[in-house]
Amino acid sequence: MKKQLGFFIDARRCIGCFTCAMACKNQYNQEPGVVWRTLYPLGEAVYPHRERAFYSLACNHCRRPTCLEVCPVNAYSKREKDGVVVHHQDKCIGCGNCIRSCPYGAPRYNPVLKKAEKCSLCWERLDAGLKPACVLSCPVEALQLLDVEAFTRVDAVQYPPGFPAFPKLDPSVRFVAPRQPIVFLREDL
Amino acid sequence: MSGMELPLVVFTVLGQAAVGIVLLSAVRQWAGHPGSEGNLRAEWIVAGALLFLAFVASLFHLGHPTGAFRTLVHLRTSWLSREVLLFGIFGILILAVLWGVLRGAFSGVLTALAALAGVLALWVSAMAYAPPAFPALHNGLPIVFFLLTAVLVGSSGAVYFAPPEKEALLVRILGSALVVGLVLYLVVPWVWLSGGTVMRMTGEAYYASALYWIRLAVGFVLPILVLALSRRIPLWLPVVVLAGEVMGRILFFSHVVHSAVNLGTPY
Repeated sequence: MKKQLGFFIDARRCIGCFTCAMACKNQYNQEPGVVWRTLYPLGEAVYPHRERAFYSLACNHCRRPTCLEVCPVNAYSKREKDGVVVHHQDKCIGCGNCIRSCPYGAPRYNPVLKKAEKCSLCWERLDAGLKPACVLSCPVEALQLLDVEAFTRVDAVQYPPGFPAFPKLDPSVRFVAPRQPIVFLREDL
Repeated sequence: MSGMELPLVVFTVLGQAAVGIVLLSAVRQWAGHPGSEGNLRAEWIVAGALLFLAFVASLFHLGHPTGAFRTLVHLRTSWLSREVLLFGIFGILILAVLWGVLRGAFSGVLTALAALAGVLALWVSAMAYAPPAFPALHNGLPIVFFLLTAVLVGSSGAVYFAPPEKEALLVRILGSALVVGLVLYLVVPWVWLSGGTVMRMTGEAYYASALYWIRLAVGFVLPILVLALSRRIPLWLPVVVLAGEVMGRILFFSHVVHSAVNLGTPY
């Protein structure tokens, strides 16, 4: 299989500080309201505890990206050398079809440019031998760059609870689900 | 739930209305005397005008309308590209039939081809609006909804163009389509309630919406009562049916829940 870069999200380590989202904002100076990466708190149905847990999510750089398939003007491409899905804004006509179609909500509408945009996995930084801004910024190393083909952690899963499974798309992300708290029950009550 | 997407509402409803008018015209010509079944000239001009308005409306949906011509470059995988192509072919065939009608040389073959292109355009269009992000629509429902719109608007609108003796036929077609549509709109949100979390949210959004109940009353119950009591299609009824379809399409675009709204919670 070809090299396929993506993200490793360790929800056991994530403390919900939003530094990754801020680093992305600082790197690309998106318009207000446009976010390429954000934190999703896990709902009670997935993580029913007083502590909170989070998934830091952006584009999943799927092996078979819906955005690329549905775009009528060929504004998306997938890099041969590392599988990064790149949005070419010069080609985009702002039809919003990718925004409607991506089940993970990765492409966002830029109301100023009137075009779609999304996480680029900082491919310019990758080409310069640097880490993506979000990965670099994470203070607890909960967010890491991974090559899906070379990834070997046995406790990681592709579709943890709270992250919808779309096997046809094959998102290039792996998760470690949050640790369940240790609960002490008193038997004398 | 997302925005109302009014340009897409107008584009899809008017485009499907054009398909419906062409389809019903073709059926009437096939069932009667080809080329002499009603006011063909006005009928095909209206079909062409509706499709033209649909195309114009679709431009308002784009951030950069001047790039619209480039939507044909990704036919290999994009259903949206194929939708533009098929509706374009449909429009050219409407013009070809109209050209013949204006010159007194009606072509049954071109009419059949136009009807076929219209149905194919509906199918391709439905595929474009059935992405994986909307579990409630990531199935065959869009083509059913779109076909229903075409038949409802086409069979009711045909009353303006068809000869009076064909009204009974139109009443039967419209009445049947209305009953099927009413049952469909009652049952589909019910089925959604038995699906996963996001699909269930769509069913709940439909049932909780006043627009849904108004759509049922205006778009189905009222026309069914009128047809049942009068056995005729009054000239105002196609407008009411069209209004019902517009409301149904607003629901389609604004009340179907996107899977990304529920990230971090069950899908």
